[in-house]
Amino acid sequence: MSKLAAKIALVEFRPDETWQHVVIADQEKCRRCPDKNCLRVCPSGVFAWDNIPGHPVLVSYRQCIECGACRLACPEGAVEFSYPHGGYGVVFHQG
Amino acid sequence: MMSDWFKTKKPHKLPTRAQPATDAPAPRKYDAVVVGAGPAGASAAYFMARDGLDVLLLERGPFPGAKTCGGAAIIAEQAHELFPNFWEEFSYERIVTRLDYWWLSEDSAVTAGFTSSRLSAAPYNRLSVKRKNLYTWLAAKAVAAGATLLLGHHVAGVLLDGYQAVGVRVAPPQSTDYLADLVILADGANSLLAERAGLIPPVTAANLSLYAKETIALPPATIEERFCLPPGQGAAIGLIGYPTAGYNGTGSIHTFHDSINISAGMSVSAYAAGGFSPGDLLERIKKHPRIQPLLDGGVTTEYGAAMIPEGGYHAIPPLVHPGLLIAGDAASLVNGIHGINLAMWSGFYAAKAAFEAKKNRDFSIRKLSLYRTLLDESFILQNMRTNAKAATLQRDRPYLFDLYSRLANEAAYQMVRAYPMPVKDKRKFIWRKVTSLQPVGKIAADIWQVLKVVKG
Ligand SMILES: Cc1cc2nc3c(=O)[nH]c(=O)nc-3n(C[C@H](O)[C@H](O)[C@H](O)COP(=O)(O)OP(=O)(O)OC[C@H]3O[C@@H](n4cnc5c(N)ncnc54)[C@H](O)[C@@H]3O)c2cc1C
Ligand code: SF4
Ligand code: SF4
Repeated sequence: MSKLAAKIALVEFRPDETWQHVVIADQEKCRRCPDKNCLRVCPSGVFAWDNIPGHPVLVSYRQCIECGACRLACPEGAVEFSYPHGGYGVVFHQG
Repeated sequence: MMSDWFKTKKPHKLPTRAQPATDAPAPRKYDAVVVGAGPAGASAAYFMARDGLDVLLLERGPFPGAKTCGGAAIIAEQAHELFPNFWEEFSYERIVTRLDYWWLSEDSAVTAGFTSSRLSAAPYNRLSVKRKNLYTWLAAKAVAAGATLLLGHHVAGVLLDGYQAVGVRVAPPQSTDYLADLVILADGANSLLAERAGLIPPVTAANLSLYAKETIALPPATIEERFCLPPGQGAAIGLIGYPTAGYNGTGSIHTFHDSINISAGMSVSAYAAGGFSPGDLLERIKKHPRIQPLLDGGVTTEYGAAMIPEGGYHAIPPLVHPGLLIAGDAASLVNGIHGINLAMWSGFYAAKAAFEAKKNRDFSIRKLSLYRTLLDESFILQNMRTNAKAATLQRDRPYLFDLYSRLANEAAYQMVRAYPMPVKDKRKFIWRKVTSLQPVGKIAADIWQVLKVVKG
């Protein structure tokens, strides 16, 4: 397990299986996007790409810690972000 | 303040006009609905309910405090004015009696600090707090005063009748509309609600900073030994320079009862430019030779990240709208990294304006701008105004924190070294070392800019 994966495993999530709150609406934008800021800025490794040109950027929304940074960091406005529906998503206990 | 009053008086264009979700009979109408049970929203709800208003407080998390993390210490002296002896009502972590700033370079630290047992007497100066405990206490206080709190309710949008806010729409699973004379948005940094309703300009990557945090468990006695603290007392350490790898940003360490919170972050736009992630920053700072021994043997119990508005005074958007007020982080009311008190006080002022509006049955901008006036006259906006230029300086000279931390460390290192040379030659030697990191002309220009800001 990577260091980040081990940390994410410590966080409590209550994922909504019926609705995805972070989506990339237009993968065409990602294909053209040289820097792919989302991969770096996301503190929780939600965005993943296999480094193969033309392949899509995957979004593991279930492990999103809801910082809200991805939509600000994406230069193409490709990230459609809302907070999860009531009662779902990340739960912090330690402050 | 008159000039600001006119600013908020201009009409606002609101793009959408929402229709009620169903044809069901109109639900009960509240005097005020507050979005977000953080320090801003819960304070607003408490003071409004105490003054007899019918208040609904909506929170998307399963309990108050579940959705935010990082830090934190509360300036108790300021909160005490609003909530006398509040420390008796909830469990805080430690009484902060040691306040430090550490300017870090790769391998060393220049430190400035103040520690005094005088800070350990009530009303305390600062208390370290876990958000869950603070937020839950404050929301319970609002409920005890008569407010209705609904958890697990995510507000998806503001309901508008023309320009006038008339309520909010809750997302699934409840999918309910709640009507109110006044809506208070206290939904934290990155207020999607205010932005989507066209009430504030879009939030930008330059004005928001992203912090990663880790909570690391250690026995209380170990914490006290490592931070040189008497039992029950705590430390708050601000970390500048090295933590943010050449960019302006900060880190912090807060001691809890049996754990430490360590956070590091910088502006969202800097990550893209720097090519690393918030998690990388945190790992970097944890490995620093002055910090690693403080954490040694600790067990990480929680990881997290959150944004904080750091645009300063000039980033404050219009806060007063027809039938709607914006408070706390949603209003960009953060000074440095202090936001909890500003949130509480803005909630308090919003409640005062709400009370006057209700008394006069007038929820127009004109009546509600009492909120902005009270804020303007308060320590909140006065302090933010004083610091306004500092925020700009950081943006214009993004290397300041890191470079001058390195300069200070180099100078201090050379100063403590005992070279076999006369003191006069040693001074020249140090000067040459320091100016090899930044040319004299540029140092002078930076100092001049900093002085201009400090002098106001
Ligand atoms: C790493 C870090 C360290 C910090 N350290 C300190 C510190 O030491 N001292 C200090 O004073 N400040 C500190 N701050 C700043 C402080 O956390 C904020 O200024 C403060 O929490 C703002 O309070 P608020 O009530 O405005 O927003 P928040 O505390 O963010 O509360 C907003 C609430 O609204 C809820 N909400 C959001 N959207 C919706 C919606 N659509 N529907 C329903 N509910 C919603 C959220 O779940 C949340 O409970 C720190 C911040 C960070 C990120
Ligand atoms: S930054 Fe935006 S456009 Fe670029 S890859 Fe990520 S989501 Fe796609
Ligand atoms: S909100 Fe934060 S954690 Fe969630 S996907 Fe976006 S950047 Fe990642």
